[in-house]
Amino acid sequence: MNTDSELLIVDDMSPAAENICTVTLRSASQRRLPSWRPGAHIDLELPNWITRQYSLCGDPNDQHSYRIGVRLEELSRGGSEYIHRLLRPGTLLKVRGPRSTFPDRTPAGTVFIAGGIGITAVLAMFLRDHAQGLRPMLLYAGRSRAAMPFLDELPEDAEVVIAAKDEDQRLDFADLAARLPAGTAIAVCGPSRMVSAVEEAFPEEKFQVHAERFRAEPRAFVNTEFLTACARSGMEVTVGEHESLMGALARADRPLAAGCREGVCGSCEVRVLSGEPEHRDLIGAPPGKMYPCVSRSSSERLVLDL
Amino acid sequence: MLQNTIARPAPLTHARVRELIGEPDQSAIDKVQDRIDPHIYRFIAHSPFLAIATAHADGTADSSPRGDYPGFVKVLDDQTLAIPDRIGNNRIDTFENLASDPRIGLLFLVPGHRETLRVNGRAYLTEDPNVLTRLEAEGKAPRLAIIVEVEEVFIHCGRAVLRSRLWDQDSTALAEHVPSIGEIVAAQYHREDVTAEAVDEGIESAYKNLY
Repeated sequence: MNTDSELLIVDDMSPAAENICTVTLRSASQRRLPSWRPGAHIDLELPNWITRQYSLCGDPNDQHSYRIGVRLEELSRGGSEYIHRLLRPGTLLKVRGPRSTFPDRTPAGTVFIAGGIGITAVLAMFLRDHAQGLRPMLLYAGRSRAAMPFLDELPEDAEVVIAAKDEDQRLDFADLAARLPAGTAIAVCGPSRMVSAVEEAFPEEKFQVHAERFRAEPRAFVNTEFLTACARSGMEVTVGEHESLMGALARADRPLAAGCREGVCGSCEVRVLSGEPEHRDLIGAPPGKMYPCVSRSSSERLVLDL
Repeated sequence: MLQNTIARPAPLTHARVRELIGEPDQSAIDKVQDRIDPHIYRFIAHSPFLAIATAHADGTADSSPRGDYPGFVKVLDDQTLAIPDRIGNNRIDTFENLASDPRIGLLFLVPGHRETLRVNGRAYLTEDPNVLTRLEAEGKAPRLAIIVEVEEVFIHCGRAVLRSRLWDQDSTALAEHVPSIGEIVAAQYHREDVTAEAVDEGIESAYKNLY
């Protein structure tokens, strides 16, 4: 773990797939960079004062450079747009880390699952395990092969399943879960929806799941009014389009523990008994739960365990 | 009250103005383009501050500042800009003006850069969710945004910034000689309960919430 910030220089920028580029960074003073274990990420501060996190997807044995992969978001708020359209080799950037939320080692036979740019988080772990003869498996899903980076870096003798949506290929998590022995380690990184599907197919009781969600593509939401019912108290509240579910509950004297109020911290978690929550949080709500500070309902009625 | 010691100055005809100033160089005329080229895009992407000029159909004119993260004004395409509306005092002079007259003039500054960027065009307001999402800062999307349809784009020479020593560190000493907003407001109110200190304190705590 390293929390100091260091000035790195942009050494190279190369296209890696449709709308995805890699950025290679090295020390401005030619020094060795802090070492990292596969699964680690860095915080990158851009010249426009925006800080974003990127997984290291290069060779961990290379002590002089870091490689990250960045996807240009259609609704970029300034991070990926800057990297793709404005960042130039030679630019100095403030970097903090590397840090990791993945375990330092993954057991033999780990199944790595990546969705789109989520490959950047698991690629180095998968390649390490493969090189060490741990027989890992990689399931890698994306929109199309042209939009999936690093396909050419996957060893031919490794167990890899590629699922390109435009070729009608889908990953069948339920089928795989039925075939894998209990206790298999699963490491997944991808969009929130995919990670939730993995968590549902590989229950904690049977598998060791480690999930990392990247912030879902920024989405624009339209608020509509809906009815929420509190099953335990029998209370019903209409949530107006200009208030949050949490706000409506507080108005009706049913305040909830609130932390960030931005769908990041998870402190306001409630159980959903019926109805279809429209998840807007950045954590990725586990099945049957929701975060009422930001999430709403896509059904007209939502019944909560309150 | 300040007394003018000379007579009120007389206005000039435009012909006399031209006679005094002379004609512009052809290069000063040619520098005006009608779209955002890659260099101008880079200028806007690093600008954290701009002044917006608008006018009301009734003839009154107004200029107001906007500031945020560099690049907070998004270039949607080479003839369209989006400017977020962050929280402020809700006076909405700019919006009132745009409702009656869409013409708009923008002046972008980049700290440390001598030249300024001028963009003129027509503007309207939007709450398009895709645009508001792109304008998000510190986790908050603006309530609405100004869309500018670009007509004229040009770089303004750096003499004004050079003469003003605008980016010199030493120049910030000027602020010490200017009254605080509390002093200004307290003097306008003439009320015992409105003190400069109280206003300054209130403003200071309001400034803690910028988004």
